Amino acid sequence: MHIPDGYLSPSTCATLYVLSASGWYGSLKRIKRVFASRTIPLISVFAAFSFVVMMLNVPLPGGTTGHAVGVGVAAIVLGPWGAILAISITLAIQALFFGDGGITTLGANCFNMAIVGSFVAYGVYRWIAGKSELISRRRIVAAALAGYVSINAAALVAAIEFGIQPLLFHDANGTPLYAPYSLHVAIPAMMIGHLTIAGIAEAVISAGMVSYLQTADLGVLRGIKSVGPGSVQIVSGAPGESSKAEPSQRRLWWTVALLMLCTPVGILAAGSAWGEWSSADLKNPHKRAQIGVVSGNQAPPSSVPAGLQKLATLWTAPFPGYAPRFVRSQAFGYLLSAMFGVGFFVVTSLITSVVGSKWKRPERQL
Amino acid sequence: MEASGTTVVSRASFIESTLRGLARGMSKALVSEHAATRPGLLQQLDPRVRVIGVLLLTVAVVVCRRFEGIVSLMMVATSIAVASRVSLASLAKRVWLVTLGFTGLIALPALFLTPGEPVFALQGLHISISAQGARTVALLVLRAETAATFTTVLVLCTPWNHILKALRSLHLPPEVVTMLAMTHRYVFLMIETANQMFESRQSRTIGTLSGSERRKMTTRTAGVLLSKSIELSHEVYLAMLSRGYRGEIHLLTDFRLRPRDYMALTAFLMTAGLAMWVGR
Amino acid sequence: MASAFKIENISFDYEGIPALRGLSLHVEQGERIALLGANGSGKSTLLRILDALYFPSAGSVAFQGTPLIEERLQRNEFSLHFRRRVALVFQNPDVQLFNPTVFEEVAYGPLQLHWKKEELIQRVDETLASMGISHLRDRPPYRLSGGEKKRVALASVLVLDPEVLLLDEPTATLDPKSQSQVVDLMQEWKGTSKTVITATHQLEIVEDIAERVLVLEAGVVIADGTPADILSNSDLLLRANLVHAHRHSHGGVVHSHPHFHGRPHSEHEP
Repeated sequence: MHIPDGYLSPSTCATLYVLSASGWYGSLKRIKRVFASRTIPLISVFAAFSFVVMMLNVPLPGGTTGHAVGVGVAAIVLGPWGAILAISITLAIQALFFGDGGITTLGANCFNMAIVGSFVAYGVYRWIAGKSELISRRRIVAAALAGYVSINAAALVAAIEFGIQPLLFHDANGTPLYAPYSLHVAIPAMMIGHLTIAGIAEAVISAGMVSYLQTADLGVLRGIKSVGPGSVQIVSGAPGESSKAEPSQRRLWWTVALLMLCTPVGILAAGSAWGEWSSADLKNPHKRAQIGVVSGNQAPPSSVPAGLQKLATLWTAPFPGYAPRFVRSQAFGYLLSAMFGVGFFVVTSLITSVVGSKWKRPERQL
Repeated sequence: MEASGTTVVSRASFIESTLRGLARGMSKALVSEHAATRPGLLQQLDPRVRVIGVLLLTVAVVVCRRFEGIVSLMMVATSIAVASRVSLASLAKRVWLVTLGFTGLIALPALFLTPGEPVFALQGLHISISAQGARTVALLVLRAETAATFTTVLVLCTPWNHILKALRSLHLPPEVVTMLAMTHRYVFLMIETANQMFESRQSRTIGTLSGSERRKMTTRTAGVLLSKSIELSHEVYLAMLSRGYRGEIHLLTDFRLRPRDYMALTAFLMTAGLAMWVGR
Repeated sequence: MASAFKIENISFDYEGIPALRGLSLHVEQGERIALLGANGSGKSTLLRILDALYFPSAGSVAFQGTPLIEERLQRNEFSLHFRRRVALVFQNPDVQLFNPTVFEEVAYGPLQLHWKKEELIQRVDETLASMGISHLRDRPPYRLSGGEKKRVALASVLVLDPEVLLLDEPTATLDPKSQSQVVDLMQEWKGTSKTVITATHQLEIVEDIAERVLVLEAGVVIADGTPADILSNSDLLLRANLVHAHRHSHGGVVHSHPHFHGRPHSEHEP
């Protein structure tokens, strides 16, 4: 979700730069005060690490791979302020060297991923992990959810930034001058990819790393306040330790998948709009084309699956007035079905692998 | 490292693709300054002037609302590239195609979605392209390309630490400059370590890896990298202390402004100003 | 002879695990000492305590008569004085190469100590020349070989012309040619007023680089003598895990004796 140059108007860029600058300023102040500048090499090396993590393919259930940002782990290990700096630095280097994200939009990207991402990740982690044991499974779940939610929060903010552009910045003939998609297209378009692939990748990396650290390097997990002479010790993990991590990762997948399966709850909020979409719009060829284009050029189904149709009529209009404007849009409804579908797929994969492992012989490894 | 008596049959394409990705990251972008030693236009200028100039022009690109203005700026970018001995072919490979890919993907639907007078209709599909849509996409793509061109030419012609020192003189805090420099330094180390871990795994694996095994491998690599990162950072801190670091950063800058730098700065200012004024 | 370091009964822990226990040591100025011990014996820890990077939890350390305590090192005056005179070369050169180019790496120390720019540049160039690495001046660290990295690391401390040199496994990870280059350099310090303390487990270089040998085991000094004495004491070396027992046979006769590679088997004739 690195936003390139030219997608955000100058005033948007400037505003976000100012917001980010206050975040950076806060972080720098804290470096000087709390961590007494031994954090400088720590943040640099962490940023380098985050850079490499962004290049790793994270294998996801179902055979796809995704890329994580590493903001979850950064927030857990460095705390939100340290994470702001580490991720911002990584983003700056990516913008300059890879052209991944623009220079004028660096403020925006840092705001979304480094600032919003870090705070949300940290908040979620702390809230769920609470005072549980450092080596408890709860921490792993907390890490996974922190990663998942923070990436989606960042994507949402980015989508909003995109979405308001055509509203505010267009020329006399109505041509959008910068990002051309309004909110009700931008939000679902951004969120689909992140609620599914990218979010899961982030969850995997966050959970996997916390799980690894629980067995290999507990001192790091405590957070950097305890980093000092002698407090970092690498304990070589025994090869068999993986069996301990496996059940907790399994459980994690189930949790995420079940969450996604519950997305029909969102249909409640969409209320009557969902029904309207499925009947009228799908029959209108113009609207169909529109939907198809935002859905990766796949034509929408010729009719809503029977089960969903029933659900829709069942739950019609409990809360129509309460939902925010973008929720009552056709694209949002499509988003929900995507989540439902992926969740269903993940659950199926999990069931298959559980059943399959009982039948397959394990691969031989040296 | 291979077991005696067996050949390694590794259909672990996942590992290969990860390794390729890591190698690409290393070679492609980070070691970029391949035009830095050539006798070109930008190379003659003080790095501070280069950075300010590119910054001004990039802002001008984003501010400019008129198509014609952005096209002119693109011509300026290309001329600077040529004058600085950057090959257009490498620019095309690095920037133009890649940005087209990114931006094109995001922008393409706008062709069809933007409401307005249709100028082109795809028969049989009931999809039309509006004039506004075409204009939007053109603006988007051209803006992104031009901005990326400016940035890339700067990075190709200037050593990374010169860019950092130039930013320092623009009052970027010294801690930030130091962190940027150290990060750049240690990315190489991280990539090398990650590469080694993946390679050694590749030679020890027979057959394909299952999804969860691959996941474990990735997260374990990431975990080990993290532990090493933290340990390394601690050691680096000690080394800094050992050589006298006490919290303030001192950098050695020996940039000097010459008449040509002032001329160039004026030229940058005027070009950017003109583009912004014309395109308002 | 002035005293360089005086250590009385120090202890130091790593997260509850004792690294040094009740260690005492007296080092005179100009001594060249080899610190022998297996991994985990406490060599690196001792060097870092000597360089005032760690502070012992018990006992005292004094440099040229002044006690090294944390508060004193936080004062600019003393810290400037100390850091210029005592230098530590880390085992892993990547730790010590954190600047963008070789020139800046070597210039880092003098910069932190507020040297004047012209003096600094001249001194750095001199040092690069004396280490034979002037051609690497503008090279970034990731384009250096292992041997080159080590020479840059050495240059970056020698530029300050320190009185005390602490070296942590200087020849580890080096190819033979680079190893001999480093050892040659260290031999140049013989007879100067430089105090040199080298931690190493490579017994074959000890005679060249030191006149006094200390053997560490589990955080205490178990032997203190000349290279000749220590290196010929096989039991001691075995106990400290510096050599391994080697068994081989000749036509039915089995010999078992401690040895380390690099020394000819003079005590055993085929």
